[in-house]
Amino acid sequence: MLEFDQVSKSYPGGFVALDRVSFKLEKGEMAFLTGHSGAGKSTLLKLISLIERPSVGRVLINDVDLSRIRRPHIPYVRRDIGIIFQNHRLLMNHTVFDNVALPLVIEGFSGKDMVKRVHAALDKVGLLDKVRCLPHTLSGGEQQRVGIARAVVNKPPLLLADEPTGNLDPDLSKDIMRVFEAFNQVGVSVLVATHDLGLVARMKYRTLTLKQGRMINDGLLQYQEDPL
Amino acid sequence: MSILFSGRVTSGASARKIGLARRFVMFWVNHLRQALFSLGELWRTPSASFLTIGVLGVSLTLPATLHLLVKNVQQVSDSFTQAAEISLFIRDGSTPTQISSLQKILQADNDIARVTHISKQQALSEFATVSGFGAALNYLHDNPLPDVLLVLPKNTSADSARQLLARLSKERIVEFGKLDIDWLTRLDAIVSLLRQAVLVIAVLLLGAVLLIIGNTIRLSIMNKKDEIEVMKLVGATDAFIQRPFLYSGIWYGVFGGLLAFLIVEAMLWWLQGAIVSVTSLYGSEFSLMALSVSEFFSLMLLAMLLGLSGSYLSVRRHISAIEPTGP
Repeated sequence: MLEFDQVSKSYPGGFVALDRVSFKLEKGEMAFLTGHSGAGKSTLLKLISLIERPSVGRVLINDVDLSRIRRPHIPYVRRDIGIIFQNHRLLMNHTVFDNVALPLVIEGFSGKDMVKRVHAALDKVGLLDKVRCLPHTLSGGEQQRVGIARAVVNKPPLLLADEPTGNLDPDLSKDIMRVFEAFNQVGVSVLVATHDLGLVARMKYRTLTLKQGRMINDGLLQYQEDPL
Repeated sequence: MSILFSGRVTSGASARKIGLARRFVMFWVNHLRQALFSLGELWRTPSASFLTIGVLGVSLTLPATLHLLVKNVQQVSDSFTQAAEISLFIRDGSTPTQISSLQKILQADNDIARVTHISKQQALSEFATVSGFGAALNYLHDNPLPDVLLVLPKNTSADSARQLLARLSKERIVEFGKLDIDWLTRLDAIVSLLRQAVLVIAVLLLGAVLLIIGNTIRLSIMNKKDEIEVMKLVGATDAFIQRPFLYSGIWYGVFGGLLAFLIVEAMLWWLQGAIVSVTSLYGSEFSLMALSVSEFFSLMLLAMLLGLSGSYLSVRRHISAIEPTGP
Protein backbone atom coordinates (compact mmCIF):
# COMPACT_ATOMS: atom_id res chain seq x y z
CA MET A 1 0.00 0.00 0.00
CA LEU A 2 2.53 2.58 1.19
CA GLU A 3 6.23 2.14 0.77
CA PHE A 4 9.20 4.36 1.59
CA ASP A 5 12.39 3.28 -0.14
CA GLN A 6 15.58 4.90 1.22
CA VAL A 7 13.91 8.29 1.35
CA SER A 8 15.89 11.36 2.38
CA LYS A 9 14.67 14.90 2.50
CA SER A 10 16.89 17.88 3.08
CA TYR A 11 15.72 21.44 3.05
CA PRO A 12 17.61 24.38 1.55
CA GLY A 13 20.19 25.41 4.12
CA GLY A 14 21.30 21.84 4.74
CA PHE A 15 18.79 20.74 7.35
CA VAL A 16 18.18 17.02 6.94
CA ALA A 17 14.59 16.24 7.92
CA LEU A 18 14.56 12.59 6.87
CA ASP A 19 17.59 10.37 6.52
CA ARG A 20 17.29 7.16 4.47
CA VAL A 21 13.91 6.11 5.80
CA SER A 22 12.48 2.81 4.57
CA PHE A 23 9.31 1.11 5.65
CA LYS A 24 6.28 -0.54 4.21
CA LEU A 25 2.67 -0.27 5.29
CA GLU A 26 0.51 -3.14 4.05
CA LYS A 27 -3.00 -2.85 2.80
CA GLY A 28 -5.38 -2.71 5.75
CA GLU A 29 -2.58 -2.19 8.25
CA MET A 30 -2.67 0.40 11.00
CA ALA A 31 0.50 1.98 12.36
CA PHE A 32 1.65 4.85 14.54
CA LEU A 33 4.39 7.28 13.68
CA THR A 34 6.02 8.79 16.72
CA GLY A 35 8.94 10.99 17.59
CA HIS A 36 9.71 14.36 19.11
CA SER A 37 8.66 17.43 17.26
CA GLY A 38 11.26 18.08 14.61
CA ALA A 39 12.00 14.39 14.26
CA GLY A 40 10.56 14.34 10.76
CA LYS A 41 6.99 13.14 11.27
CA SER A 42 5.44 16.08 9.45
CA THR A 43 7.94 15.86 6.63
CA LEU A 44 7.13 12.20 6.17
CA LEU A 45 3.42 12.96 5.92
CA LYS A 46 4.13 15.85 3.55
CA LEU A 47 5.99 13.48 1.24
CA ILE A 48 2.98 11.16 1.13
CA SER A 49 0.49 13.95 0.46
CA LEU A 50 2.83 15.45 -2.18
CA ILE A 51 3.22 18.73 -0.39
CA GLU A 52 6.96 18.09 -0.54
CA ARG A 53 9.07 15.91 -2.80
CA PRO A 54 11.88 13.68 -1.51
CA SER A 55 15.48 14.72 -2.18
CA VAL A 56 16.56 11.11 -2.61
CA GLY A 57 14.65 7.84 -2.70
CA ARG A 58 11.20 6.79 -3.70
CA VAL A 59 7.77 6.99 -2.12
CA LEU A 60 5.29 4.50 -3.54
CA ILE A 61 1.58 4.20 -2.99
CA ASN A 62 0.02 1.03 -4.36
CA ASP A 63 3.27 0.49 -6.35
CA VAL A 64 2.91 3.87 -8.07
CA ASP A 65 6.06 5.97 -7.73
CA LEU A 66 4.93 9.41 -6.55
CA SER A 67 7.86 11.08 -8.31
CA ARG A 68 6.10 10.17 -11.56
CA ILE A 69 3.06 12.26 -10.60
CA ARG A 70 3.19 15.60 -12.34
CA ARG A 71 1.82 18.74 -10.74
CA PRO A 72 -1.57 18.80 -12.52
CA HIS A 73 -2.25 15.27 -11.26
CA ILE A 74 -1.46 15.93 -7.60
CA PRO A 75 -5.11 16.73 -6.73
CA TYR A 76 -6.18 13.31 -8.02
CA VAL A 77 -3.59 11.60 -5.81
CA ARG A 78 -4.78 13.54 -2.78
CA ARG A 79 -8.32 12.31 -3.39
CA ASP A 80 -7.07 8.81 -2.69
CA ILE A 81 -5.63 9.83 0.66
CA GLY A 82 -7.73 10.98 3.57
CA ILE A 83 -5.77 13.49 5.62
CA ILE A 84 -6.62 14.56 9.17
CA PHE A 85 -4.96 17.66 10.50
CA GLN A 86 -3.94 18.60 13.99
CA ASN A 87 -5.71 21.95 13.83
CA HIS A 88 -8.74 20.43 12.01
CA ARG A 89 -8.47 22.95 9.15
CA LEU A 90 -12.22 23.21 8.81
CA LEU A 91 -13.87 25.97 6.84
CA MET A 92 -15.15 28.00 9.75
CA ASN A 93 -17.87 29.91 7.92
CA HIS A 94 -19.43 26.78 6.44
CA THR A 95 -21.65 24.25 8.19
CA VAL A 96 -20.48 20.84 9.28
CA PHE A 97 -22.35 19.38 6.34
CA ASP A 98 -20.57 21.63 3.83
CA ASN A 99 -17.21 20.82 5.37
CA VAL A 100 -17.72 17.09 5.16
CA ALA A 101 -19.24 17.34 1.69
CA LEU A 102 -16.28 19.31 0.28
CA PRO A 103 -14.30 16.30 -1.04
CA LEU A 104 -17.48 14.94 -2.64
CA VAL A 105 -18.33 18.26 -4.28
CA ILE A 106 -14.80 18.38 -5.65
CA GLU A 107 -15.26 14.94 -7.16
CA GLY A 108 -18.57 15.88 -8.75
CA PHE A 109 -21.07 14.24 -6.45
CA SER A 110 -24.40 15.94 -6.01
CA GLY A 111 -27.91 15.47 -4.73
CA LYS A 112 -29.07 12.49 -2.72
CA ASP A 113 -25.91 10.48 -3.30
CA MET A 114 -23.84 13.19 -1.65
CA VAL A 115 -26.22 13.66 1.28
CA LYS A 116 -26.24 9.92 1.90
CA ARG A 117 -22.47 9.68 2.04
CA VAL A 118 -22.09 12.76 4.23
CA HIS A 119 -24.62 11.43 6.69
CA ALA A 120 -22.92 8.03 6.71
CA ALA A 121 -19.55 9.63 7.47
CA LEU A 122 -20.96 11.84 10.22
CA ASP A 123 -22.78 8.85 11.67
CA LYS A 124 -19.51 6.92 11.94
CA VAL A 125 -17.95 9.69 14.02
CA GLY A 126 -21.18 10.16 16.02
CA LEU A 127 -22.00 13.69 14.93
CA LEU A 128 -25.14 13.15 12.89
CA ASP A 129 -27.07 15.57 15.10
CA LYS A 130 -24.60 18.41 14.39
CA VAL A 131 -25.05 18.48 10.61
CA ARG A 132 -26.33 22.05 10.47
CA CYS A 133 -23.94 23.52 13.04
CA LEU A 134 -21.07 25.84 12.32
CA PRO A 135 -17.69 24.42 13.38
CA HIS A 136 -16.95 27.08 16.01
CA THR A 137 -20.04 26.04 17.99
CA LEU A 138 -18.51 22.58 18.44
CA SER A 139 -15.98 21.43 21.02
CA GLY A 140 -12.38 20.62 20.07
CA GLY A 141 -13.05 16.90 20.02
CA GLU A 142 -16.13 17.35 17.87
CA GLN A 143 -14.26 19.56 15.43
CA GLN A 144 -11.59 16.90 15.15
CA ARG A 145 -14.24 14.31 14.42
CA VAL A 146 -15.70 16.53 11.70
CA GLY A 147 -12.19 16.59 10.23
CA ILE A 148 -12.14 12.79 10.33
CA ALA A 149 -15.55 12.58 8.68
CA ARG A 150 -14.29 14.82 5.91
CA ALA A 151 -11.20 12.67 5.43
CA VAL A 152 -13.17 9.42 5.12
CA VAL A 153 -16.27 10.62 3.31
CA ASN A 154 -15.02 9.56 -0.10
CA LYS A 155 -13.76 6.23 1.29
CA PRO A 156 -10.04 6.64 0.61
CA PRO A 157 -7.93 3.45 0.83
CA LEU A 158 -5.29 5.29 2.86
CA LEU A 159 -5.82 7.50 5.89
CA LEU A 160 -3.16 9.83 7.30
CA ALA A 161 -3.53 11.66 10.58
CA ASP A 162 -1.17 14.31 11.91
CA GLU A 163 -1.39 14.69 15.68
CA PRO A 164 -5.15 14.07 15.64
CA THR A 165 -5.27 14.08 19.44
CA GLY A 166 -2.84 16.97 19.84
CA ASN A 167 -4.98 19.16 22.05
CA LEU A 168 -7.57 16.73 23.37
CA ASP A 169 -7.89 15.20 26.81
CA PRO A 170 -7.10 11.46 27.20
CA ASP A 171 -10.70 10.26 27.07
CA LEU A 172 -11.43 12.16 23.86
CA SER A 173 -8.13 10.93 22.43
CA LYS A 174 -9.17 7.38 23.09
CA ASP A 175 -12.49 8.00 21.34
CA ILE A 176 -10.72 9.38 18.30
CA MET A 177 -8.40 6.37 18.19
CA ARG A 178 -11.41 4.05 18.37
CA VAL A 179 -12.76 5.77 15.28
CA PHE A 180 -9.49 5.10 13.46
CA GLU A 181 -9.57 1.47 14.58
CA ALA A 182 -13.08 1.15 13.21
CA PHE A 183 -11.95 2.37 9.80
CA ASN A 184 -8.95 0.08 9.91
CA GLN A 185 -11.23 -2.86 10.54
CA VAL A 186 -13.06 -2.23 7.27
CA GLY A 187 -9.79 -2.44 5.33
CA VAL A 188 -8.46 1.10 5.29
CA SER A 189 -4.71 1.55 5.82
CA VAL A 190 -4.15 4.04 8.62
CA LEU A 191 -1.00 5.93 9.58
CA VAL A 192 -1.28 8.13 12.66
CA ALA A 193 1.48 10.54 13.60
CA THR A 194 1.39 11.34 17.29
CA HIS A 195 3.67 12.04 20.23
CA ASP A 196 1.15 10.70 22.72
CA LEU A 197 3.30 7.69 23.66
CA GLY A 198 1.03 6.49 26.41
CA LEU A 199 -1.83 6.15 24.01
CA VAL A 200 0.39 4.45 21.43
CA ALA A 201 1.62 1.89 23.91
CA ARG A 202 -1.88 1.06 25.08
CA MET A 203 -3.19 0.57 21.56
CA LYS A 204 -0.72 -2.24 20.68
CA TYR A 205 -0.19 -1.39 17.04
CA ARG A 206 2.94 -1.32 14.96
CA THR A 207 4.89 1.84 15.76
CA LEU A 208 7.42 3.63 13.62
CA THR A 209 9.67 5.92 15.64
CA LEU A 210 11.68 8.72 14.12
CA LYS A 211 14.58 10.46 15.76
CA GLN A 212 16.37 13.29 14.01
CA GLY A 213 15.17 12.06 10.68
CA ARG A 214 16.11 8.42 11.19
CA MET A 215 13.84 5.46 11.72
CA ILE A 216 15.01 4.06 15.05
CA ASN A 217 12.19 1.66 15.82
CA ASP A 218 9.74 -0.34 13.78
CA GLY A 219 7.43 -2.61 15.71
CA LEU A 220 5.50 -2.69 18.94
CA LEU A 221 6.41 0.05 21.36
CA GLN A 222 6.74 -0.74 25.05
CA TYR A 223 5.69 2.20 27.12
CA GLN A 224 8.04 1.39 29.96
CA GLU A 225 11.21 1.50 27.89
CA ASP A 226 10.91 4.85 26.18
CA PRO A 227 13.34 4.67 23.26
CA LEU A 228 13.55 8.42 22.85
CA MET B 1 -10.43 9.32 -11.85
CA SER B 2 -7.98 7.62 -9.58
CA ILE B 3 -4.34 7.51 -10.51
CA LEU B 4 -3.09 5.34 -7.69
CA PHE B 5 -5.88 2.81 -7.40
CA SER B 6 -7.17 1.53 -10.68
CA GLY B 7 -10.79 0.50 -10.41
CA ARG B 8 -11.52 2.77 -7.48
CA VAL B 9 -14.68 4.65 -8.35
CA THR B 10 -14.29 8.24 -7.30
CA SER B 11 -16.37 10.41 -9.53
CA GLY B 12 -19.93 11.01 -8.46
CA ALA B 13 -21.12 11.02 -12.03
CA SER B 14 -19.48 7.77 -13.12
CA ALA B 15 -20.50 6.08 -9.88
CA ARG B 16 -24.11 6.18 -10.86
CA LYS B 17 -23.58 5.48 -14.54
CA ILE B 18 -25.71 8.37 -15.68
CA GLY B 19 -26.25 9.15 -19.31
CA LEU B 20 -24.39 11.67 -21.40
CA ALA B 21 -27.38 13.97 -21.78
CA ARG B 22 -27.95 14.08 -18.05
CA ARG B 23 -24.28 14.68 -17.44
CA PHE B 24 -24.46 17.59 -19.90
CA VAL B 25 -27.40 19.04 -18.02
CA MET B 26 -25.62 18.51 -14.70
CA PHE B 27 -22.59 20.36 -16.07
CA TRP B 28 -24.68 23.47 -16.67
CA VAL B 29 -26.60 23.05 -13.43
CA ASN B 30 -23.29 22.94 -11.56
CA HIS B 31 -22.08 26.05 -13.33
CA LEU B 32 -25.30 27.85 -12.54
CA ARG B 33 -25.00 26.79 -8.93
CA GLN B 34 -21.46 28.10 -8.74
CA ALA B 35 -22.46 31.35 -10.43
CA LEU B 36 -25.21 31.86 -7.86
CA PHE B 37 -22.79 30.93 -5.09
CA SER B 38 -20.39 33.63 -6.29
CA LEU B 39 -23.25 36.10 -6.37
CA GLY B 40 -23.99 35.16 -2.77
CA GLU B 41 -20.33 35.71 -1.88
CA LEU B 42 -20.55 39.26 -3.25
CA TRP B 43 -23.71 39.75 -1.23
CA ARG B 44 -22.01 38.57 1.96
CA THR B 45 -19.40 41.33 1.72
CA PRO B 46 -21.69 44.18 0.62
CA SER B 47 -19.52 47.18 1.42
CA ALA B 48 -16.45 45.90 -0.42
CA SER B 49 -18.53 44.72 -3.36
CA PHE B 50 -20.41 48.01 -3.65
CA LEU B 51 -17.17 49.97 -3.61
CA THR B 52 -15.67 47.84 -6.36
CA ILE B 53 -18.84 47.94 -8.43
CA GLY B 54 -19.02 51.72 -7.96
CA VAL B 55 -15.47 52.19 -9.20
CA LEU B 56 -16.16 49.91 -12.16
CA GLY B 57 -19.41 51.70 -12.95
CA VAL B 58 -17.74 55.11 -13.01
CA SER B 59 -14.81 53.79 -15.04
CA LEU B 60 -17.18 52.32 -17.60
CA THR B 61 -19.38 55.40 -17.63
CA LEU B 62 -16.65 57.59 -19.06
CA PRO B 63 -16.05 55.58 -22.25
CA ALA B 64 -19.79 55.12 -22.70
CA THR B 65 -20.39 58.86 -22.36
CA LEU B 66 -17.59 59.70 -24.74
CA HIS B 67 -19.00 57.22 -27.22
CA LEU B 68 -22.39 58.96 -26.98
CA LEU B 69 -20.71 62.33 -27.43
CA VAL B 70 -19.01 61.19 -30.63
CA LYS B 71 -22.24 59.62 -31.84
CA ASN B 72 -24.20 62.82 -31.31
CA VAL B 73 -21.55 65.08 -32.81
CA GLN B 74 -21.50 62.77 -35.80
CA GLN B 75 -25.25 63.10 -36.10
CA VAL B 76 -24.86 66.89 -36.11
CA SER B 77 -22.13 66.81 -38.73
CA ASP B 78 -24.15 64.39 -40.88
CA SER B 79 -27.03 66.86 -40.93
CA PHE B 80 -24.59 69.36 -42.39
CA THR B 81 -23.89 67.46 -45.60
CA GLN B 82 -26.34 69.78 -47.32
CA ALA B 83 -23.84 72.51 -46.64
CA ALA B 84 -21.99 71.26 -49.70
CA GLU B 85 -24.24 73.60 -51.60
CA ILE B 86 -22.74 75.71 -54.37
CA SER B 87 -23.71 79.34 -54.61
CA LEU B 88 -23.35 80.73 -58.14
CA PHE B 89 -23.29 84.52 -58.16
CA ILE B 90 -24.66 85.82 -61.44
CA ARG B 91 -22.85 88.58 -63.30
CA ASP B 92 -24.50 91.97 -62.90
CA GLY B 93 -26.46 92.92 -65.99
CA SER B 94 -27.54 89.40 -66.98
CA THR B 95 -31.12 89.32 -68.19
CA PRO B 96 -33.77 87.23 -66.40
CA THR B 97 -34.10 85.06 -69.53
CA GLN B 98 -30.39 84.23 -69.44
CA ILE B 99 -30.70 83.30 -65.78
CA SER B 100 -33.77 81.13 -66.18
CA SER B 101 -32.25 79.34 -69.22
CA LEU B 102 -29.09 78.62 -67.21
CA GLN B 103 -31.29 77.35 -64.39
CA LYS B 104 -33.04 75.01 -66.86
CA ILE B 105 -29.73 73.76 -68.25
CA LEU B 106 -28.41 73.07 -64.78
CA GLN B 107 -31.59 71.30 -63.72
CA ALA B 108 -31.06 68.93 -66.64
CA ASP B 109 -27.51 68.23 -65.50
CA ASN B 110 -26.93 64.69 -64.22
CA ASP B 111 -24.63 65.77 -61.40
CA ILE B 112 -27.08 68.23 -59.94
CA ALA B 113 -29.92 67.41 -57.61
CA ARG B 114 -31.63 70.73 -57.29
CA VAL B 115 -31.25 74.34 -58.44
CA THR B 116 -32.90 77.22 -56.65
CA HIS B 117 -32.96 80.75 -57.91
CA ILE B 118 -32.80 83.58 -55.40
CA SER B 119 -33.47 86.83 -57.18
CA LYS B 120 -31.93 90.17 -56.21
CA GLN B 121 -35.23 91.32 -54.67
CA GLN B 122 -35.71 88.14 -52.63
CA ALA B 123 -32.14 88.37 -51.39
CA LEU B 124 -32.59 92.01 -50.37
CA SER B 125 -35.84 91.43 -48.50
CA GLU B 126 -34.43 88.39 -46.76
CA PHE B 127 -31.33 90.35 -45.81
CA ALA B 128 -33.51 93.21 -44.54
CA THR B 129 -35.48 90.93 -42.22
CA VAL B 130 -32.60 88.76 -41.01
CA SER B 131 -29.93 91.41 -40.56
CA GLY B 132 -32.09 93.98 -38.83
CA PHE B 133 -30.83 96.77 -41.11
CA GLY B 134 -34.38 97.15 -42.56
CA ALA B 135 -34.67 100.88 -42.24
CA ALA B 136 -31.09 101.60 -43.24
CA LEU B 137 -31.45 99.60 -46.46
CA ASN B 138 -34.16 101.95 -47.61
CA TYR B 139 -31.48 104.59 -48.16
CA LEU B 140 -29.84 102.51 -50.89
CA HIS B 141 -30.55 103.78 -54.38
CA ASP B 142 -30.20 100.43 -56.06
CA ASN B 143 -29.98 96.81 -54.95
CA PRO B 144 -26.29 95.86 -54.50
CA LEU B 145 -27.01 92.16 -54.22
CA PRO B 146 -26.54 89.81 -57.19
CA ASP B 147 -28.88 87.07 -58.35
CA VAL B 148 -27.85 83.72 -56.90
CA LEU B 149 -28.39 80.19 -58.11
CA LEU B 150 -28.10 77.65 -55.30
CA VAL B 151 -26.91 74.34 -56.72
CA LEU B 152 -27.16 71.17 -54.65
CA PRO B 153 -24.89 68.48 -56.11
CA LYS B 154 -26.14 64.90 -56.21
CA ASN B 155 -22.85 63.72 -54.77
CA THR B 156 -22.27 65.82 -51.66
CA SER B 157 -18.70 64.68 -51.01
CA ALA B 158 -16.18 67.49 -50.85
CA ASP B 159 -14.12 66.43 -53.88
CA SER B 160 -16.94 66.00 -56.38
CA ALA B 161 -18.59 69.22 -55.16
CA ARG B 162 -15.31 70.98 -55.80
CA GLN B 163 -15.12 69.57 -59.37
CA LEU B 164 -18.68 70.65 -60.05
CA LEU B 165 -17.85 74.11 -58.75
CA ALA B 166 -14.90 74.39 -61.16
CA ARG B 167 -17.13 73.39 -64.07
CA LEU B 168 -20.00 75.72 -63.19
CA SER B 169 -17.71 78.70 -62.62
CA LYS B 170 -16.90 78.58 -66.34
CA GLU B 171 -20.51 79.44 -67.28
CA ARG B 172 -20.62 82.76 -69.08
CA ILE B 173 -23.06 84.65 -66.89
CA VAL B 174 -21.55 83.32 -63.63
CA GLU B 175 -19.41 85.92 -61.91
CA PHE B 176 -17.95 83.38 -59.50
CA GLY B 177 -19.04 80.31 -57.61
CA LYS B 178 -18.56 79.62 -53.96
CA LEU B 179 -18.51 76.33 -52.18
CA ASP B 180 -18.49 76.61 -48.41
CA ILE B 181 -16.82 73.31 -47.80
CA ASP B 182 -13.69 74.20 -45.86
CA TRP B 183 -15.43 74.37 -42.54
CA LEU B 184 -17.08 71.03 -43.30
CA THR B 185 -13.73 69.34 -43.84
CA ARG B 186 -12.53 71.01 -40.67
CA LEU B 187 -15.55 69.66 -38.79
CA ASP B 188 -14.89 66.21 -40.20
CA ALA B 189 -11.29 66.43 -39.08
CA ILE B 190 -12.33 67.52 -35.61
CA VAL B 191 -14.86 64.71 -35.35
CA SER B 192 -12.27 62.13 -36.37
CA LEU B 193 -9.77 63.64 -33.93
CA LEU B 194 -12.42 63.40 -31.23
CA ARG B 195 -13.08 59.81 -32.13
CA GLN B 196 -9.39 58.92 -31.90
CA ALA B 197 -9.09 60.67 -28.56
CA VAL B 198 -12.14 58.84 -27.28
CA LEU B 199 -10.65 55.56 -28.42
CA VAL B 200 -7.41 56.21 -26.54
CA ILE B 201 -9.22 57.29 -23.39
CA ALA B 202 -11.58 54.33 -23.63
CA VAL B 203 -8.68 51.89 -23.94
CA LEU B 204 -7.00 53.43 -20.91
CA LEU B 205 -10.16 53.30 -18.84
CA LEU B 206 -10.96 49.74 -19.86
CA GLY B 207 -7.40 48.85 -18.89
CA ALA B 208 -8.12 50.41 -15.52
CA VAL B 209 -11.25 48.29 -15.20
CA LEU B 210 -9.18 45.18 -15.93
CA LEU B 211 -6.67 46.10 -13.24
CA ILE B 212 -9.35 46.98 -10.68
CA ILE B 213 -11.10 43.65 -11.14
CA GLY B 214 -7.79 41.80 -11.11
CA ASN B 215 -6.81 43.46 -7.86
CA THR B 216 -10.19 42.89 -6.21
CA ILE B 217 -10.05 39.22 -7.10
CA ARG B 218 -6.47 39.04 -5.84
CA LEU B 219 -7.59 40.44 -2.49
CA SER B 220 -10.43 37.96 -2.19
CA ILE B 221 -8.04 35.13 -3.08
CA MET B 222 -5.70 36.31 -0.32
CA ASN B 223 -8.65 36.47 2.09
CA LYS B 224 -9.48 32.87 1.33
CA LYS B 225 -5.94 31.59 1.40
CA ASP B 226 -6.67 29.13 4.22
CA GLU B 227 -9.77 27.85 2.52
CA ILE B 228 -7.89 27.38 -0.75
CA GLU B 229 -5.15 25.45 1.04
CA VAL B 230 -7.72 23.14 2.59
CA MET B 231 -9.39 22.61 -0.75
CA LYS B 232 -6.05 21.76 -2.35
CA LEU B 233 -5.32 19.30 0.46
CA VAL B 234 -8.56 17.44 -0.10
CA GLY B 235 -7.86 17.18 -3.81
CA ALA B 236 -9.38 20.17 -5.55
CA THR B 237 -7.85 21.04 -8.90
CA ASP B 238 -6.85 24.63 -9.66
CA ALA B 239 -9.68 24.78 -12.18
CA PHE B 240 -12.21 23.89 -9.50
CA ILE B 241 -10.83 26.44 -7.06
CA GLN B 242 -10.66 29.26 -9.57
CA ARG B 243 -14.17 28.87 -10.94
CA PRO B 244 -15.99 30.86 -8.20
CA PHE B 245 -13.46 33.67 -8.58
CA LEU B 246 -14.02 33.79 -12.33
CA TYR B 247 -17.74 34.00 -11.71
CA SER B 248 -17.17 36.83 -9.22
CA GLY B 249 -15.28 38.67 -11.94
CA ILE B 250 -18.18 38.22 -14.33
CA TRP B 251 -20.63 39.45 -11.71
CA TYR B 252 -18.50 42.51 -11.07
CA GLY B 253 -18.61 43.14 -14.80
CA VAL B 254 -22.38 42.72 -14.96
CA PHE B 255 -23.06 45.07 -12.08
CA GLY B 256 -20.43 47.58 -13.16
CA GLY B 257 -21.93 47.62 -16.67
CA LEU B 258 -25.45 48.05 -15.32
CA LEU B 259 -24.33 50.88 -13.06
CA ALA B 260 -22.56 52.57 -15.97
CA PHE B 261 -25.73 52.26 -18.05
CA LEU B 262 -27.83 53.79 -15.28
CA ILE B 263 -25.39 56.66 -14.79
CA VAL B 264 -25.38 57.39 -18.53
CA GLU B 265 -29.19 57.33 -18.65
CA ALA B 266 -29.44 59.63 -15.64
CA MET B 267 -26.92 61.99 -17.20
CA LEU B 268 -28.85 62.09 -20.48
CA TRP B 269 -32.07 62.78 -18.62
CA TRP B 270 -30.35 65.56 -16.72
CA LEU B 271 -28.85 67.13 -19.83
CA GLN B 272 -31.89 66.73 -22.05
CA GLY B 273 -33.57 69.96 -20.89
CA ALA B 274 -30.42 72.04 -21.23
CA ILE B 275 -29.67 70.65 -24.68
CA VAL B 276 -33.20 71.25 -25.94
CA SER B 277 -33.01 74.91 -24.94
CA VAL B 278 -29.62 75.29 -26.69
CA THR B 279 -30.71 73.56 -29.89
CA SER B 280 -34.01 75.45 -30.05
CA LEU B 281 -31.98 78.67 -30.07
CA TYR B 282 -30.20 77.42 -33.18
CA GLY B 283 -33.46 76.31 -34.75
CA SER B 284 -32.00 72.84 -35.16
CA GLU B 285 -33.95 69.62 -35.01
CA PHE B 286 -31.21 67.98 -33.03
CA SER B 287 -32.38 65.36 -30.57
CA LEU B 288 -30.02 63.73 -28.11
CA MET B 289 -29.42 60.07 -28.93
CA ALA B 290 -29.33 57.62 -26.03
CA LEU B 291 -27.69 54.19 -25.98
CA SER B 292 -29.42 51.82 -28.35
CA VAL B 293 -30.34 48.28 -27.31
CA SER B 294 -27.41 46.80 -29.21
CA GLU B 295 -25.08 49.33 -27.62
CA PHE B 296 -26.42 48.43 -24.20
CA PHE B 297 -25.72 44.77 -24.85
CA SER B 298 -22.24 45.55 -26.19
CA LEU B 299 -21.56 47.53 -23.04
CA MET B 300 -22.68 44.62 -20.87
CA LEU B 301 -20.74 42.10 -22.92
CA LEU B 302 -17.63 44.23 -22.79
CA ALA B 303 -17.99 44.68 -19.03
CA MET B 304 -18.46 40.93 -18.51
CA LEU B 305 -15.48 40.09 -20.71
CA LEU B 306 -13.34 42.58 -18.83
CA GLY B 307 -14.52 41.08 -15.54
CA LEU B 308 -13.74 37.58 -16.70
CA SER B 309 -10.33 38.39 -18.13
CA GLY B 310 -9.38 40.57 -15.16
CA SER B 311 -10.15 37.82 -12.71
CA TYR B 312 -8.55 35.21 -14.98
CA LEU B 313 -5.26 37.13 -14.99
CA SER B 314 -5.38 37.34 -11.22
CA VAL B 315 -6.53 33.79 -10.62
CA ARG B 316 -3.86 32.27 -12.87
CA ARG B 317 -1.09 33.99 -10.99
CA HIS B 318 -2.29 33.62 -7.44
CA ILE B 319 -4.17 30.35 -7.10
CA SER B 320 -1.34 28.18 -8.32
CA ALA B 321 1.00 30.15 -6.05
CA ILE B 322 -0.93 29.10 -2.94
CA GLU B 323 0.39 25.73 -1.86
CA PRO B 324 -0.52 23.97 1.34
CA THR B 325 2.42 24.12 3.71
CA GLY B 326 1.69 21.16 5.90
CA PRO B 327 -0.86 18.67 7.07
